Amino acid sequence: MKFLQSPTAKRWGSLIALYAVVTVMTGPPGNQSSPTLGFTSSFSETVSFFGLFPAPRGLFLAGVFGLIIGAVAIYQRTALQGMVKQARQTVAPRYQSVTQRKSLRGVFYALVLFVAIILPHVVTDPFWQSAMVSQIAIYVLLAIGLNVVVGFAGLLDLGFVAFYAIGAYTTAWITGALPAAAPFHHHLNAFWAIPIAIVLVMISGVVLGLPTLRLRGDYLAIVTLGFGEIVTIFLNNLYNITGGSTGSNQIPHFSIHLGPVKYVWGLDPVPYYYLTLGFVVLFLIVFSALEHSRVGRSWVAIREDEIAAESVGINPLKYKVIAFAIGAASAGFAGVITGGQSLFINPTTFTLAFSINILVLVIFGGMGSIIGVVVGSLIIQTISMYLIHTPPAGFQNSDLYIYLGALLIAMMIFRPAGIWPSKRRRREIVAVEAGTAPDQYNGQGSKNGEGA
Amino acid sequence: MTAQLFDVQNVTLRFGGVVSLNNVSLHQNPGEILAVIGPNGAGKTSLFNSLTGVYAPQEGTITFNGAKGPLSVIGKKPHRVNAAGVARTFQASRMFSAMTAFENVKIGAESHKGLGVIGAMVRGPSTRRHDRETDERAWSLLRFVGLEQQANTLSASLNYGARRRLEIARGLATNPSVLLLDEPAAGTNPAEKLELTTLIRRVRDEMGVSILLIEHDMKLVMSLAERLYVLNFGSVIAEGTPDEIRANPAVVEAYLGSTDTGTTQGAQ
Repeated sequence: MKFLQSPTAKRWGSLIALYAVVTVMTGPPGNQSSPTLGFTSSFSETVSFFGLFPAPRGLFLAGVFGLIIGAVAIYQRTALQGMVKQARQTVAPRYQSVTQRKSLRGVFYALVLFVAIILPHVVTDPFWQSAMVSQIAIYVLLAIGLNVVVGFAGLLDLGFVAFYAIGAYTTAWITGALPAAAPFHHHLNAFWAIPIAIVLVMISGVVLGLPTLRLRGDYLAIVTLGFGEIVTIFLNNLYNITGGSTGSNQIPHFSIHLGPVKYVWGLDPVPYYYLTLGFVVLFLIVFSALEHSRVGRSWVAIREDEIAAESVGINPLKYKVIAFAIGAASAGFAGVITGGQSLFINPTTFTLAFSINILVLVIFGGMGSIIGVVVGSLIIQTISMYLIHTPPAGFQNSDLYIYLGALLIAMMIFRPAGIWPSKRRRREIVAVEAGTAPDQYNGQGSKNGEGA
Repeated sequence: MTAQLFDVQNVTLRFGGVVSLNNVSLHQNPGEILAVIGPNGAGKTSLFNSLTGVYAPQEGTITFNGAKGPLSVIGKKPHRVNAAGVARTFQASRMFSAMTAFENVKIGAESHKGLGVIGAMVRGPSTRRHDRETDERAWSLLRFVGLEQQANTLSASLNYGARRRLEIARGLATNPSVLLLDEPAAGTNPAEKLELTTLIRRVRDEMGVSILLIEHDMKLVMSLAERLYVLNFGSVIAEGTPDEIRANPAVVEAYLGSTDTGTTQGAQ
């Protein structure tokens, strides 16, 4: 009996419950004459495997959960307890150790970059070449941008897609692909959209941020959610400007005409892959420099204790707006690439589900951890694309998000800080365990107990 | 008369119908160790929060004359007040728990160094120079409060006394003219109290930072403070040197209570 109350039993129990829910939700629907059909046949389908009949769905589900359990088993050692121990150890030595490990890390990064560069020559399947740009590289870019807002500054932004949309529509606008007149007589090269979109998107980030970032937590989430919806609705309704639900005309490809150098990005996704990869690397370098700078430390301070941060002279609003603008900039940039590569854009891409999808990548990878977010995006997007491209028996495209949801829930049960949590997040867990993490809404700042 | 460091005139702070500070006037001279005492709920922490910009009192004026010129505190945000030279600690210590002791102090040292987002992104020369400067300043302050050995310890895993000292170092890192200490000795053991007393005096003597102190521990207050204000129910009921306060019958009655008199007498 005592075992049933242990955390281990609870975790595995939740996993079994999750399995049941996923089985039912991805099973056949019920109908009027037998409303419970969906429920009963969901299970009979999967267990028919034991009756030695071919049961593809049962096999598939067993495969999915086998993978999850396998991953959990690998991570079990480094789950919460291990992470705490690890964090304690990493803190102990002086700063020297970081520089000592730098060279090793450099080799590792160089290796990863090398793999990323040769990848399009190894993977020649056209589906995958295209997916590597539009579904993986772009998502990595978006995820590291949202990570600045959610992970570094601790601001829950549910309207991130708005900045992505603004970036994409700016590209269409300046290249003359929208009903609205382009701002310059000669339609500009899509490259010009990069600086213009980034500036526009940062401005909209500041405009949204200045009034709303005074709000905290849930309130901010609701406001940003509304902002995302407003932008999508505008794109749909302002027919004369945005083209309404049909979206843009054909957006020209990126091209370079610099003296003797002439290059046009065409329908082949590989050049786009390299373009995006280049910017992903740039953003990674810049953002990780930012994380370990004064700005990054100020974000951590604000996230941990806003009142204390103010008392040492940090202006929380300023730093939050900066996080918003920087995160928005990378989303705007991703929008430009999408606009240039996919040629046509319309509002159906820019939905709330998209924002949430990006948020899932960040949470899955480990909030605040740049490497984690990249790894998380790679894993989730690759799995999704694989399932869509080569669906195993028993898999339906419409069920994709149920499986991803299950994966995320399993992750939250066994590895709450993400697959590759940042050192700081790990430390925060130590702080919470030690019971010394201050509560934002209690203690000194509150008025209770004073002034009677 | 030289400019007073803090000049608080007729400050009234209300929360709905509750009057937290009632027509409070007080001042602090430069270089002074000043203490504010009073029973629980007398408004001491409200006074601190008003002095640091956390609360904005409805009536009265608060003028701060730091090294960087005068500032009218009411209506200013806490980070502005800090920039003008007011640092503070909190009653329930508020560290950035997931940061090391060193990072906690460094945050304080670098918060007024201008923004420099672009510089931070590309790690330009001026950013690196600022980094070196603030590193040095953080180290020297950690040495000052005696936490050099624990520089790379998570502040969450420091003991209570060490966290108190770290909070003082973090406050000092912002280069203040005055340090406000909200019950620094609460929860510390006698040995730590003694250390703290010495440290506070050193802050004033060696760094030239004035001290404004809220404290319940009478022994500590009476040995440290040069002048005291007594608050009760949001009003100042007495002002004077430790000896005068001890002899003041109103204080004895209102604050110390008749049974506590003996303790105070034996305090020094």
